[in-house]
Amino acid sequence: MTRYLVGRILQIVPVIVGISIIVFLLVRLIPGDPATAMLGSRATAELIARVHDQFGLDLPLWRQYLSYVGHALQGDFGISFFYQTGVWEVTIERLPTTLLLMGSSILLSIVLATPFAVIAAVRRGGASDQAIRLAFTAALGMPAFWSGIVLAVLLGARLRLLPTSGLGEGGLDTVRHLILPSLTIALALSPILVRTLRSSLIEVIGSDYVMTGTAMGLRRSTLLVSYLLRNSLRPVVSIISINVGYLIGGTVIVEQIFSLPGMGSLLIGSIGTRDYAIIQLATLLFALLVIVVNLVADLLYSLLDPRISLAR
Amino acid sequence: MSAAPSDMLVPVRRRLRLVAGTDWSMRIGLAGIALLALAAAFAPLILSGDPIKLNLAEGLQPPSLAHWFGTDQLGRDVLTRVIYGARVDLQIGAIGVAIPLAIGLVLGLLAAYFGGWVDALIGRLIDVVIAFPFLVLVIAIVAMLGPGLINLYIAISLVSWVLYARIVRGEVLALRSREYVLAARSLGFGDARIMFRHVLPNAIAPAFVFAMSDFALDVQLGATLTFFGLGVQAPTPEWGLMIAEGRNLMFTAPWIVIFPGLAIIVVSFLVSLIGDGLADRVRGIDRG
Repeated sequence: MTRYLVGRILQIVPVIVGISIIVFLLVRLIPGDPATAMLGSRATAELIARVHDQFGLDLPLWRQYLSYVGHALQGDFGISFFYQTGVWEVTIERLPTTLLLMGSSILLSIVLATPFAVIAAVRRGGASDQAIRLAFTAALGMPAFWSGIVLAVLLGARLRLLPTSGLGEGGLDTVRHLILPSLTIALALSPILVRTLRSSLIEVIGSDYVMTGTAMGLRRSTLLVSYLLRNSLRPVVSIISINVGYLIGGTVIVEQIFSLPGMGSLLIGSIGTRDYAIIQLATLLFALLVIVVNLVADLLYSLLDPRISLAR
Repeated sequence: MSAAPSDMLVPVRRRLRLVAGTDWSMRIGLAGIALLALAAAFAPLILSGDPIKLNLAEGLQPPSLAHWFGTDQLGRDVLTRVIYGARVDLQIGAIGVAIPLAIGLVLGLLAAYFGGWVDALIGRLIDVVIAFPFLVLVIAIVAMLGPGLINLYIAISLVSWVLYARIVRGEVLALRSREYVLAARSLGFGDARIMFRHVLPNAIAPAFVFAMSDFALDVQLGATLTFFGLGVQAPTPEWGLMIAEGRNLMFTAPWIVIFPGLAIIVVSFLVSLIGDGLADRVRGIDRG
């Protein structure tokens, strides 16, 4: 296990270096002088010089990159002009909200997808299978910002069932606040889940041990819960790890729509305030998050199926 | 894997032929998209209203016979704006697929065909770009370049070519040692000719299948970025922009938001029908 982990991490290192290069180069895309663009109307000769100094804009490109990495490794990503404090502090403070939203969205996606996948698999080819396929294909086409607005107005404002903004005051109140945002993301994620779960369930239904169980007279519900769903957890883990980038995209949109103080809404908000260093860091952290989730998924995968040995 | 004998006999044109066939899903998808594209292209001929001119006297009217989708706060007909909006949104889908597809085809082909350091370089680049959440990287690039349609196209092109490159690379790797490629090489054909005449046409089909779902994603992406103020600028009719403008009126005039959203869903749905049909066809060809 340890050996596997070390190997995986060694594989990841070049990717992380590549990610840092792309994130570093982002600022270079700013047309004209980045310092002037960053400062906007605040630009004075003295401030421009300070920004040049902070980002090392007068050095050759490779020296700039090395200096960026050197500072980054010490947690120094510059100072935000808008927040008047360290970019790292501002951004990392938002991470827990984003993680919370991602977690609750995954949970809700599974809750939403499982019953439909079971029905579709059991009634394969039937009318309900077709209807489920059609409905979820349509759901896949819903842009998250639109379904978020519609849900907020329908379930939040009109029926006054659920709060539509912010994170609440902790505990159960926060759970209530998370329902609509998570549901918005779940509507986008569950179509993918339903498709995978359905085909893996069909596979398991046809397998020898389920046949044996049926022959032994086990009840259908016992079979479903203890055999089928347990064996379907692996495809769920892998589909979430494959689509984690898509999931993150959803959280960025949803955080902004529902005013949740996460990294996504920080990213969008920083575009208006020209806080390029925050945009850089948020982009970096989101990419690292993808890598971490994939690593965790690999480990979970082996835990869920002892047949897969990581020692190989 | 051995080459099926039929493999080399399937002409390119038949592989990519879209209109023939018996599958209804593809026909509905193609017909629907064509209809929408035609309506958008000839909008001034079929619609009497103006998508931009204000008509404050007729503001916020609910759907009726005169205004099927109602009117917005500025009195503009929502149906007219949805149809004119298709011009922009379908264009985002088309360009958002075409440029990355072209880049990805060439780079994926080069990587797999030549192998060695070319493959190592392109392969690493693919690994790195794919690690970013697509939406986040596109937003970050547009944030740096500045809002607007052209910059959106640049951002999509910089990011989503990797998906096509990865698909094509995998296909070409599988095809590289097939008999007809070896035969072409032993006949002394040049690399370029083998790559583009013999390998690429056979490796391209899965990329086209993916292009369909990518088209839908790009339409959603364009609307999303515009919604956040990073894409098309007002008063151009565009679905994301219409939703943004109607957002605060959702309570009193939901039709302003509902119909552009439905337009996005319908386009995504139609395109996924085409994609399913294409996928069946590609699988059918592979079975021989």
